[in-house]
Amino acid sequence: MSNVIHASHLTLTYGKRGKEIIKDANFSIKKGEFVFITGPSGSGKSTLLKALYGKLKPSEGNLVVGGLDLSTIRQTKLQELRTHMGIIFQDYKLVNEWTVKKNVVLPLMIAGYPTEIQETQAHRLLKHVKLPEHADRYPLELSGGEQQRVGVARALAKNPVVILADEPTGNLDDYSSNVIWDLMENACQQLDTTILVVTHKIPTIFSLPYRHFIIESKGVYEVH
Amino acid sequence: MKFIKNHLMFILPLMAILLGIEFYLVFERTTNTYEKSLKEGYSMLVVTKKPMELSAFQTLNDHISSAEQIQRESIVSEVAKGVSESGSEEILAALPYFYNLGLDSYLHTSGLEKIKKDLEAESNIKKVETFGSSYQSSYRLFSFVKFVLKVFIAFMAVVSLFLIMKQMEIWKYAHKERMQVMEIFGAPLMLRAGVLFKVAFLDALFSTLLVSGIFLYTKLYWASESGIEIMTQNQEALFKFGDMGILLGAAILIVIIAVYTVVFSSKGVEE
Repeated sequence: MSNVIHASHLTLTYGKRGKEIIKDANFSIKKGEFVFITGPSGSGKSTLLKALYGKLKPSEGNLVVGGLDLSTIRQTKLQELRTHMGIIFQDYKLVNEWTVKKNVVLPLMIAGYPTEIQETQAHRLLKHVKLPEHADRYPLELSGGEQQRVGVARALAKNPVVILADEPTGNLDDYSSNVIWDLMENACQQLDTTILVVTHKIPTIFSLPYRHFIIESKGVYEVH
Repeated sequence: MKFIKNHLMFILPLMAILLGIEFYLVFERTTNTYEKSLKEGYSMLVVTKKPMELSAFQTLNDHISSAEQIQRESIVSEVAKGVSESGSEEILAALPYFYNLGLDSYLHTSGLEKIKKDLEAESNIKKVETFGSSYQSSYRLFSFVKFVLKVFIAFMAVVSLFLIMKQMEIWKYAHKERMQVMEIFGAPLMLRAGVLFKVAFLDALFSTLLVSGIFLYTKLYWASESGIEIMTQNQEALFKFGDMGILLGAAILIVIIAVYTVVFSSKGVEE
């Protein structure tokens, strides 16, 4: 199986002073794998995730996602790469002045899909995350768990190659968290999507086989 | 209400800038005519011992554009009333030659002094009268009015730009969240800023139409009914349809700068 993500001697720095967060990390993630990245607060989990969607450039080494080296990527290529990614945030990052339906179809809108396809996909995705009746409501009218399900639906909208999730259940109660993990397991199993989740704790209810990396003392190590 | 307020906060300062530009255009057109009439109406008097051609004057100073000889006979007929014919002929023979010299451009006192010096250096020229003081007082008043208006327009433009920038800050916070989310999912700049461009272009068009409307009304109705001489005389210069293009161009330029400011200042914010 081909690597969807490959890091070689990756070093990430942050801030004006160039504080080292990750140093000389080497890892590869294959298509269809479910990966957890854990570590203590401030260890650099979110920084690594930012680097994976091109928000932060590697200061040394290489980070290849979907065959594109993010240390040398051009802005237009990065935009194109991002259209093949689904990203889920702890604080959902929904556009509050848009309806739930419009939020869900954002990746399709960016890719220029016709309105009819957007409509059909929105209906299918909202049914999948069990929110079909909320299509015309606004994010702030929903609970946190519901908003995150909208976030998951948006991440799945364009059948992405990879889904990156930053503490996706960090703000949710147990029930809502379990719903989110179920949705992500399904996406990985049924769509063969690579899913990389940054979290402080691996959920106990998780039933799929997964790989686990831990960030410690600036290094990224696989836990066997 | 909030929607209208948001638009007005952009349209009003933009209109102030466009009004400034249109005032400037109108002022330039009307003062050009005035400047021309001042230039054309001005001439200096030169007294020479022998007749001189225009080319001879021009070799002394190249600002001289015309030389009109004053008929000596008419001067003699004025001063020699009641004098015999032979007496008149003697006066005519003793009388020097008089010329009205015209200039090619509108000159400062120093320019006039230079011409006077150049002419006086010629031995054939007896006397040069520039009428500098009356000319200068008109020129000074004209320059002062022009300067004051330009300062006022510039001041108005600066204040309006500050107001537009303030409004941009509000737009930045209003649209930041949406633009950041769209950027994360790979939306190109034009798509991210699409709504902003649409709103701003509409505002630009609206401002241009309003300003053009004000000046068109002034030209077609108010100017002729006002009874103000300068307005009726320069009615044609008050608005030209070409001005609409200039105003729209300026408004669009301001809009593009404003929108790009918002887009780029929302980019670096932490996600």
